[in-house]
Amino acid sequence: MSPSEVQTLNQNRLHFYQLLARVYQHELSQSMIQQLVHVTFPKQTGSAEMDRGYGLLERYFVNHQIAAIEEDLACDYAKVFLAAGETKGNAAFPYESVYTSDEKLVMQQAWADVRAIYGLEKLALDTEMADIKEDHIAVELKFMAYLCEKNNLEAQQTFLKTHLLDWIVDFCEDIRKYSHTDFYRGIADLTVGFLKRDAALIETLQTAAQAPATSFTMANSDFDALIQQWQQHYHVFAPAFVNGRSNQHRPLVRFQEINQVSDIVYDRQSDFSAKEIYYPIMQTMFYFTEHEVKESRLKDDKDYLIFMHPCDINALRRTDTVFMKNGGLTDSYYKRLRDKVKIVMMECTQSCENCFCVSMNSNRSDHYDMAVRFDQHQMNVNVKDPSFLADFQAAQTSDFQPQFISENQATVTLPEINSREELDLAGHLDYWQTFNERCIGCGGCNTVCPTCTCFDTLDVTYDESGKQGERRRVWSSCMLDTFTQTAGGNRARKTPGDNMRFKTLHKVYDYKQRFGEENMCVGCGRCVMRCPKDISFSDTINGFTAAFAQAKQEQAVK
Amino acid sequence: MENIMLPEPHQILDVVKETQAEYTFRVAYDKPTQYNQFFQLSIPKVGEAPISVSGKGNGYLEFTMRKVGRLTEGVFGLDKGDTLFMRGPYGNSFPVADFEGKDLVVICGGTGMSPVKTVLTHFMDHPEISKSVHFIVGFKDINSVLFTDALKTFSEQPKFRTTYCLDNSEAPGFHKGFVTQYIKNVPFADFDDYNVAIVGPPMMMGFSAQECLKNGADPKKIWVSFERRMSCAVGKCGHCKINDTYVCLDGPVFNYTKAAHLFD
Repeated sequence: MSPSEVQTLNQNRLHFYQLLARVYQHELSQSMIQQLVHVTFPKQTGSAEMDRGYGLLERYFVNHQIAAIEEDLACDYAKVFLAAGETKGNAAFPYESVYTSDEKLVMQQAWADVRAIYGLEKLALDTEMADIKEDHIAVELKFMAYLCEKNNLEAQQTFLKTHLLDWIVDFCEDIRKYSHTDFYRGIADLTVGFLKRDAALIETLQTAAQAPATSFTMANSDFDALIQQWQQHYHVFAPAFVNGRSNQHRPLVRFQEINQVSDIVYDRQSDFSAKEIYYPIMQTMFYFTEHEVKESRLKDDKDYLIFMHPCDINALRRTDTVFMKNGGLTDSYYKRLRDKVKIVMMECTQSCENCFCVSMNSNRSDHYDMAVRFDQHQMNVNVKDPSFLADFQAAQTSDFQPQFISENQATVTLPEINSREELDLAGHLDYWQTFNERCIGCGGCNTVCPTCTCFDTLDVTYDESGKQGERRRVWSSCMLDTFTQTAGGNRARKTPGDNMRFKTLHKVYDYKQRFGEENMCVGCGRCVMRCPKDISFSDTINGFTAAFAQAKQEQAVK
Repeated sequence: MENIMLPEPHQILDVVKETQAEYTFRVAYDKPTQYNQFFQLSIPKVGEAPISVSGKGNGYLEFTMRKVGRLTEGVFGLDKGDTLFMRGPYGNSFPVADFEGKDLVVICGGTGMSPVKTVLTHFMDHPEISKSVHFIVGFKDINSVLFTDALKTFSEQPKFRTTYCLDNSEAPGFHKGFVTQYIKNVPFADFDDYNVAIVGPPMMMGFSAQECLKNGADPKKIWVSFERRMSCAVGKCGHCKINDTYVCLDGPVFNYTKAAHLFD
């Protein structure tokens, strides 16, 4: 619960105690009745007793003429609480000591106890309460409202348990017995239900209050100091400007080690993904001599703290699946870096022009260790990994919760492939071959994709004999014309169109078909920016879906 | 943790020249392997490639490689006594137990004979569990013919019906033409129960399967084995993926009812 949520909750509780107190203190006034007849009572409060109580109130006001209500309720009030007209003098006397003393008398031990409690708070009865005693239900409820205002949860819990809840169930049972109106019967249910629920709520609030704050606001300069502190144990990575220009002639943004907030480019999509940090473009797997192999080691022990947008965090789950789940086999080169990754989620303040993350359902993520929002001069931080909380001890607490975008300029409609036969149809559309003239097979799309995992291995030898050297692995690309080429020269897929079809189906069908849950593509839009031939992947998906739907229709006509 | 990409050294026990371009390497190995499984072999100066087991015996495995392209060229510098790095075995195998007691049809082309050679040897060594073996193999020309000794021995087995052919030439013991031309001689109608195993280049496998179907074969009884480029053989490098299938993890052997739906 955020601090503002707690505050709202407390206000609501306070008002409810005041309202109940007023209902018990006197007969209802005409103005209260005027208000109540227009209230729409809640239906599902989570408490069966409260639901029943509200139901009775609603029934009462529906079934009674407004002019007759005041007198009807006044009569019932006098009968139920003051024993008016009761020959035996039986009623629901609204005093704690009546219900807790053996002799069923007013002004007994309970009365003395609550007076002492009020005394500690230097409270005494108002003049308007001169006709009642301190253990009257209205006074006790008012005292709860007072404690709510003081935000003293412990005192609230104690008073509720040792006093109100000690007698209120029996008292309300009596109300039901002596009242002839749905109104006071409803109030009885509402009172019991509310007090029981409130006791549970106070416990929740106490737990929440004990839990340390997890959201903070701090000046950029203070956050810079934190980055420097983290650098002792982490390589701190974030998207930052590097030399070079993108296809759109903008400065390139790539994940780099950064030193301060101002290094971070957070308000546009980076040209390259965060993938290269935990899955390097090239890495040495092992060193070999004639008779031995020796596994490579990482260059240092530092972990990786990476500032990422939700799309890249969602992409991480896809690469995890391929490297750590497919075939039930774990790739140790991936895992050894992946285990070091801590995530700082950067909130997206607006959709970038090529993103279609909402269509791919990857615009949100709660998988982060910290989340940040960049304001001009300050950082808003939400901390999930408790090991980072100590870093924010001096920071000002806040209500910050990261928000997510819910709309992109670009949207895609995914194909509905429902059978093997439909997949055959989807895979053999003429549509794919239209890419033969456009795609040059450069593989740039795969390079910038945060979910592409394919690689080649290659040996680098140190001498002419070839018996000493190292095996490396290097990112590969399914768009390269040699991707499926075997030693004999045979290529399983032969045209750029074949490759485009393979990639597209992999990203929006095959992966999901194999692993369930989600499609591989996260809609980050980087491949759209990267393609030197302006082939947009979102357009490709939409074109495919349209061509496929048309082919399905034509087949149905046949 | 375990590193599934790390190869182990194995000693080369012998190198046999099969043809001008093909050699069989006998490598010390004493763990069990299934029919048609493959290993990732480290080729000096180049990298790794998936190579099927073409023969096995007590304490050794055999791999037959053609000197094609960059990939397998490096291995030809190796000799008896040298070390070959490899990891495996990988992949599934032909359901050989299910082949027993039935008629078997084996159709292969060129080096595609490697992976099924151990299956053929199995039924040759155990004629009591075989009804018949119809073996059709095609090579490009007489100089490309592999496993000459094995071919001769197979042809002498009473339960074997062998057809050997060369794409465009004739030679003693060899017909002229493609394997697909000779599938019509297989008496599918006379078989009580049978299986068909097809291994070779993609085109050859596709046409052979079609020809079998044309001659009355049941698609459920046809098995094909895919040869794909692989850099890892453990479902990570992505090269062998077809649709939602990874050949290294789910294959290389597929029943034709599934294989027919896989498309490149």
